[in-house]
Amino acid sequence: MRPLFSPSPFFVLALALTLLSLTACSPPGPSEGSIAPGELKVVATTGMIGDLAAQLVGDLGTVTTLMGPGVDPHLYKALESDVRTLSEADLILYNGLYLEGKMGDVLVKLARTRPVVAVSERVGEDRLREPPELEGAYDPHIWFDVSLWLEAVAPVEAALVELLPGESQLIGQRADELRERLRAMDQWVEGQIATIPEEHRVMITAHDAFGYFGDRYNIEVVGIQGISTASEAGLADVERVVDLIVERRVPAVFIESSVPRRAIEAVQAAARARGHEVRIGGELFSDAMGAVGTPQGTYNGMVRHNVETVVKALVGDLDEAAADSVVTAEEGTP
Amino acid sequence: MDLSFFASLLDGSLFGSFLGASSFGGIEWSFTLRNVLLGTTLLGVVGGVLGCFTLLRRESLLGDALAHAALPGVCIAYLITGAKSSGPLFLGALVAGVVGALTILVVVRWSKLVTDAAIGIVLSVFFGLGIMLLTYIQKLPLGNQSGLDKYLFGQAATLMPQDVQLMALLGAAVLVLLALFFKELKLLTFDREYAASLGMPVLRLEVLMTLLLVAVVVVGLSTVGAVLMVATLVTPAAAARQWTDRLGWMLVLAALIGGGSGMVGALASASVDRLPTGPVVVLVASALLTLSITLAPRRGLLWSRLRYLRMVRRIRRENLLKDLWNFGERRGDEPGQRVPWTYVMGLRGLTGGRVEATARALEQEGLVRRGERDLRLTTSGIAAAQAMVRKHRLWEVYLTRKLELAEDHVHRDADVMEHALTPAAVAQLEEVLGYPTLDPHGRPIPPARGELVSTAPISGGAA
Amino acid sequence: MSGGPAVEVHDLTVAYHTEPVLWDVDLEIPEGRLVAIVGPNGAGKSTLLKAILDIVSPVTGWVKIFGEAYAQRRSWVGYVPQRESVDWDFPTSALDVVTMGLYGRLGWLRRPGRREKELALESLEKVGMEAFANRQISELSGGQQQRVFLARALAQDARIYLMDEPFAGVDAATEAAILTLLQELRATGRTVVAVHHDLQTVAEYFDHVVLLNLRLVAAGSVESTFTTENLQRTYGGRLTVLTQAAEALLGAQAERPDLQGSGQG
Repeated sequence: MRPLFSPSPFFVLALALTLLSLTACSPPGPSEGSIAPGELKVVATTGMIGDLAAQLVGDLGTVTTLMGPGVDPHLYKALESDVRTLSEADLILYNGLYLEGKMGDVLVKLARTRPVVAVSERVGEDRLREPPELEGAYDPHIWFDVSLWLEAVAPVEAALVELLPGESQLIGQRADELRERLRAMDQWVEGQIATIPEEHRVMITAHDAFGYFGDRYNIEVVGIQGISTASEAGLADVERVVDLIVERRVPAVFIESSVPRRAIEAVQAAARARGHEVRIGGELFSDAMGAVGTPQGTYNGMVRHNVETVVKALVGDLDEAAADSVVTAEEGTP
Repeated sequence: MDLSFFASLLDGSLFGSFLGASSFGGIEWSFTLRNVLLGTTLLGVVGGVLGCFTLLRRESLLGDALAHAALPGVCIAYLITGAKSSGPLFLGALVAGVVGALTILVVVRWSKLVTDAAIGIVLSVFFGLGIMLLTYIQKLPLGNQSGLDKYLFGQAATLMPQDVQLMALLGAAVLVLLALFFKELKLLTFDREYAASLGMPVLRLEVLMTLLLVAVVVVGLSTVGAVLMVATLVTPAAAARQWTDRLGWMLVLAALIGGGSGMVGALASASVDRLPTGPVVVLVASALLTLSITLAPRRGLLWSRLRYLRMVRRIRRENLLKDLWNFGERRGDEPGQRVPWTYVMGLRGLTGGRVEATARALEQEGLVRRGERDLRLTTSGIAAAQAMVRKHRLWEVYLTRKLELAEDHVHRDADVMEHALTPAAVAQLEEVLGYPTLDPHGRPIPPARGELVSTAPISGGAA
Repeated sequence: MSGGPAVEVHDLTVAYHTEPVLWDVDLEIPEGRLVAIVGPNGAGKSTLLKAILDIVSPVTGWVKIFGEAYAQRRSWVGYVPQRESVDWDFPTSALDVVTMGLYGRLGWLRRPGRREKELALESLEKVGMEAFANRQISELSGGQQQRVFLARALAQDARIYLMDEPFAGVDAATEAAILTLLQELRATGRTVVAVHHDLQTVAEYFDHVVLLNLRLVAAGSVESTFTTENLQRTYGGRLTVLTQAAEALLGAQAERPDLQGSGQG
């Protein structure tokens, strides 16, 4: 006998899609009303923000970081599990300035049902870089200028206080402490970079992630292929960098954790061919932090690592043992 | 074919600078320029040559597919070694490329899918797998996986001496293979089954070619990046095809166009700031392709337009000749008698200016004499017109006898064919028809006396 | 003639993917005859040729050419594939295509030289195409292309020729020329096996016929085998085809005298 109703494959598919979209449309949602201390769920996009938030939240809740160590935030695509994590969050923190390029839409949607805060929102426009390659957009890499990153504390603090008004004093106290630590770190970085002889104070990397760093700490930053990792270098650009290295006798160039090292190696080889030996000074963390549990896995440790690497490589009177330690740091992922 | 353009690219001055001169056209001959120039040139040569075969096998997308197929290999190599070092990643890409390319071969051979579909499937399946692995890796707490998908891809501006050596090695392998097996590869590409019937190991040859292609593509990916690599396989071969109808020349031209583009692109990128090398090379090659598609003799658009116009004018001349002859025949007089302008003007729906221009052209050929009120055929004009009419009537006979068309249907067809028939074809036609003397309408078929002086066969346009 | 059959096919079954396209074919093709393979579309006619040529490998069964496996008899066999099976825009000349017929004899690493060129030109002459030797093959008409393929097979100087629809899509002059050529081949003791579509001309052109529809329906001389009953068994219920075939059998044999003996130049 013929069945009365035999669904076509398309019908089944359509049904499945409808059900799926229904579940997607009705996320569990944040708990309404007041949140008990310790229950607060904060989600941060990058490790740097997660680190910052964790220092303010402490025992008041949990902080989850979406983009694990070594993930390029420019290209990160939200996973299905991320959407779940985000939809359960009481507070979402992101960098802004288009750092999380591919997550923008998701964040906009989530902002209707819970606070979604860009940590860069209180940084004054006059302090933001507007590199010509980005055509009007701001350089998002603000965390490399510790004094700018300091400005990221306030919006997080305010958002937390709003969610946990009863804990405002504790949060405010933690924020002040954090600001204090960041101020100290800012000064430390400044002092460290100042030890580099003026003519060697140039940081050559594959692409321009360190613009804020250079501006703040008075070190020239040269990227071979501009600020975006998607564009390509021209021959003349490579030559220009090689000229600079040879003319200024730059002792070292740097590779980045998220960018292929070929460009830097090509520059090194070209300088060598012109009789100037330039070392690869080590690997810098640019868009992401190191693995969890290692010193580079925290904001503090990452900045420290970058600064120490740069200073060690450029100060010039590096002894062999120090050079070895740089090499191990460069491979240094467990 | 005109090679002077390429000859000027390759002339002594440029090679002179290879041999140690320190500057070329104001650009300093540096370490970087040398690597980049040699690298892009070598890759252009190798890609151009291999691209000819992929183009002719209708597998031009293969380069693109292999570039995408490399991703899962890179991911798996990373998962195994846990490090972003170029060696293992390169190997991973190579293995994935080989698996992908052989999958395409197998799918085409043992399924009903055509090559394009097989390439598309492998491309999307492999790339999808790669994205899946990448997403999985993104979640691992390793700390150095960022940029993995780009890690393998090089840039033309950062070519290194060892890259150039690798390319030279591959280039030598390709050239040796071609030198040894040119005729086998040609036959394999043209007619695979016939090659198999001759006992050639077609599958092994295909695998060998494919492996070589994969090696070139993966080396290309890791040294100059995907865009330039894919373009190098397609553009020079397509441009070369425009200029020649011989495979050997096509290979040589593709090598020259590919190499030349690499050279010009490298030099341009060296002389202007912020000009990315790879894309510039692609632009130069594309410009050459555009030029070839427009200007190449025979296949070029410009030429086929010119050929068409020339054909139109010739047909008008031949028609006028025939009309003048017919006028005489209808009167039962000598075909060379005076024909009033008014008669020919209205005959074929052409403007008066066109008819006059046609008559002027015929006068210059000495076939027609124009008067104020009338015009007439000269002696050689009569001979030429007679040949035309002969072709026309023979063709009418052929159509009625062979295709069993009605008499009143054949005239128009014959009008078209008479312009296309070569003397040899006419002779053959006559032989097949048994030398008829009357056309289907009962009019006499004039004897062969001579051909129209300026005619060349229309079909095919061979000189 | 050497007594034994030119081609012996035993218990041949060939399958593409999951569908068998030839079932248990047992067949002997006598030497020195013009043999037509006839059957409806999808009957496995081309596949039979390819199985004989060892291009497709059978599921079961074997093929012998003059008593030996194909690999031993390769140089005795010439092949004319379907004209549509290749890309005629390939950058090569008519002469070059014909030269390909000599590649098997040349072997590896040797390039065709002056001698091969001469042989190829001779073959082109045999099909009346010497004037087109240097033409790009896409500039040739369908009939001319077919003649080039025939010339390529002639260059192989084989004892048996396997042709896949040599008369398909050619003009009348070429059809006549090909027929003459086949008759000349038979006159010199060669065997020709051709897949043929035009039922009306089977009796006129060929002297032996193989009726095929996945299985072998019948094989033998045209007089004894090309019968209405056998055609009916080959084409099944396809009435229009049958009517045509019947007409062909009744009337067509003596027609088209104009094609007999007309030259190929």
